[in-house]
Amino acid sequence: MKDDPIKNPHLRLSRRGLLLGAAAGTVGAAVAGTAAQGATGEANADDIVDLAGEYPFYGNAEQAGIRTPPQRYTFYMTFDLTSPLRADLQVLLARWSAAISQLMKGKPVGQIEPSRPDAIGLDTGEALNLSPACLTVTVGLGPNVFTDAYGLAGHRPHLLRELKQLPSDAFRPGLTGGDLSLQACADDPQVAYHAVRDLARIAKVTGAAATRWTVMGFGRASAGKGQSTPRNLLGFKDGTRNIREDADFDRFVWVKDGPGWQHHGTYQVVRKIQMHIEAWDTDRISDQNAVFGRHKVSGAPLTGVHEFDTPDFAKMDVAGNPVMPATCHVRLAAFENNEGLRILRRSYNYTDGINQYGVLDAGLLFISYQSDPAHFETLQTKLGASDRLNEYISHIGSAIFFVPPAPQEGSYIGAQMFADG
Amino acid sequence: MPLINQTTPFATATGLAVLLAFAPGAFAKEAPVKDGVSQVQVTLTSDNGGSCVLDSDDAKAGPVTFSVTNKTAASISEMELLSNNRILGEKENLAPGLPTVSFTLTLDGGTYQIYCPGASAELQDFKVTGKANKASGSTQDILAEGVKGYAHYVDGVVDAMVTAVQRLKADIDAGDLEKARTQYAAARPFYERIESDVDGFVLPGFKATDNAGNLDYLVDMRASNLDPAVGWHGFHAIERDLFEKGAITDETKKLAAELQDNVEKLDKLVGTLEYKPEDLANGAAGLLEEVQTGKITGEEEAFSHIDLVDFAGNIEGAQQAFAFLEPGMQKIDADLTKQVNAQFENVLKLLETYRDPNELGGYKRYTAEIKASDANKLSKAIQALQEPLSRIAEKVATAH
Repeated sequence: MKDDPIKNPHLRLSRRGLLLGAAAGTVGAAVAGTAAQGATGEANADDIVDLAGEYPFYGNAEQAGIRTPPQRYTFYMTFDLTSPLRADLQVLLARWSAAISQLMKGKPVGQIEPSRPDAIGLDTGEALNLSPACLTVTVGLGPNVFTDAYGLAGHRPHLLRELKQLPSDAFRPGLTGGDLSLQACADDPQVAYHAVRDLARIAKVTGAAATRWTVMGFGRASAGKGQSTPRNLLGFKDGTRNIREDADFDRFVWVKDGPGWQHHGTYQVVRKIQMHIEAWDTDRISDQNAVFGRHKVSGAPLTGVHEFDTPDFAKMDVAGNPVMPATCHVRLAAFENNEGLRILRRSYNYTDGINQYGVLDAGLLFISYQSDPAHFETLQTKLGASDRLNEYISHIGSAIFFVPPAPQEGSYIGAQMFADG
Repeated sequence: MPLINQTTPFATATGLAVLLAFAPGAFAKEAPVKDGVSQVQVTLTSDNGGSCVLDSDDAKAGPVTFSVTNKTAASISEMELLSNNRILGEKENLAPGLPTVSFTLTLDGGTYQIYCPGASAELQDFKVTGKANKASGSTQDILAEGVKGYAHYVDGVVDAMVTAVQRLKADIDAGDLEKARTQYAAARPFYERIESDVDGFVLPGFKATDNAGNLDYLVDMRASNLDPAVGWHGFHAIERDLFEKGAITDETKKLAAELQDNVEKLDKLVGTLEYKPEDLANGAAGLLEEVQTGKITGEEEAFSHIDLVDFAGNIEGAQQAFAFLEPGMQKIDADLTKQVNAQFENVLKLLETYRDPNELGGYKRYTAEIKASDANKLSKAIQALQEPLSRIAEKVATAH
């Protein structure tokens, strides 16, 4: 499988040790649970961390970090273009591609301790000997890349545009937009951090881009293939009905039309979603379940018993009310209720500490991939308007990017855009 | 489906050529000459853990053009031509897929090295045979002239600071608070222009670890680096009296006399300094760090809030240091020189927006409001300058 790490980790002890599910050091232990509310969360025996795991940068059709089963940490950053010169952008994309191919092999991007005393180290060094840790770095190109200023207007992916204003948008200044994005994901947070930090330095050195906004994700909030569904900071399983199968990726995620160089690209929509943690934590459990339409521990829909039971949106209770409430999150987002529409979610939990009001500042770094940004807008229009969850969340940040396909060795991301001189 | 991992025939043949080259002169290939200029192709690949491959082993003395193409070497982003560890020419920002770049040098007979950091064999020899007409005036000579000019500049700044501090002392001795405040703001920029050159002076008889003998401490210490064993001295002790206490006391007069004494000592010591070109570059970088850690944070002028006046002083000092390196840097790396100048322009344009002739020192006071709204913008502008400027020291240190 193209997406499996090069060193296939299934049930194999690696020299760096394994972490099984959430219980470090307890290899092979399934979480013992009493079935008070149906199945408890089991740790998936296949869901192990192998820090020696490695993904390739070159050679696949799509960039890594989209179909890749989510790693445990992300460092996400957007950038502003700072040079009016097209050549600077070209050099940046080529330098980034070269550096990412090294980083994903667990190698430094350059010398850490140069022998010349007046030299500056190219690699900052904090990931030395940390091993690849399944690092992926995904590069996105924002709407401003495809302008006449760079002579790239003719290459604009035809669905790339700013998102429409959507219900419940509550954006903070400085947390929106971006001309370039980097999504670094790894099973070691320091590896993810180092990758973006060193790529940001390359951006400064080439004069092409400067940092804009950034979020560090410390826990998964979406499941990929073969992974047990992780939980968001509201304590609920997140991503039960996520896209996992190749056929669904082909149908909903990959761009298939337009110029050849965009095929197997996709659109990345990012939303920083703040949660009102203290308000949520004091909400009674029946209300929490009703907000989502699922049982908190098992993840089962309110009409079912097991996590993966199909929700029955038609089922009524004895009082004649729908068991899945009319404005619960799962009902509004369900593909059955949106003409089959699905998007890939690849989100992470984040925290920014304590905010100026003295409450916990944390939430969901929502990252989605879809073949048309309008798909996200359709779903968020419904959710933003009437989701019960809105009482406990705020969309404070937003951005959209086109993610080109992966380059072949010897080339770089977006090279085809510069091919006509 | 492309077979990415297949070793290309080109790489195999080159590997063979490298092995055979160990037989002396057996397959030595001389660079072809086009319009009187030898042409050498340098190709970077990921073979053998990263390779920098030349298509010729040697060239005739005279002009030589090195054309560098990064085919697949993700680990190699620069390439240099060295002679006895001096950089004669180089190319940076190399990455797979980018167009070929080249540089031309006039080389005399001898053995040079091609240096490719990140390749598994980072150094390889390149021979030049014969004699060439040497260009007169090496880059080192040009830089040496610049260094002399900078030393003269620093001497002048410290002389002016002595005069400014004398005036400040006179205003303080006269008990004139308003005049002393104005003169304080007038005196500060002189020190800020050259502070990175003088932060190592230790008075005779004191250990290097004793702040009581450290001139930079005695002249420029502030709350954030207060050594309780040594106490308050210098500009900021006076600042505290003038702007926080708002009064001139006998203590203030003692501090002013001590500051005058210390800047006079500084004036004598500065005349003995000898600079290398990289000292100017590192000094400029040091001044920018001062801006980031002391001025943008508002820490430097915690009582008077004239941080932007100091900021402008730091920038002027950094720009002067760079200006004296510029004639040499133009020959070493014209692109980088252009980039640094452009970033200096950006910073100066930004600083201009804070001008206020009615305020002490001619800039708006750096209040908490301005800091909250503008610190990010100011910091980004400095960062964009710091990154290219930090690469100058190595280049001037190894210039030919």
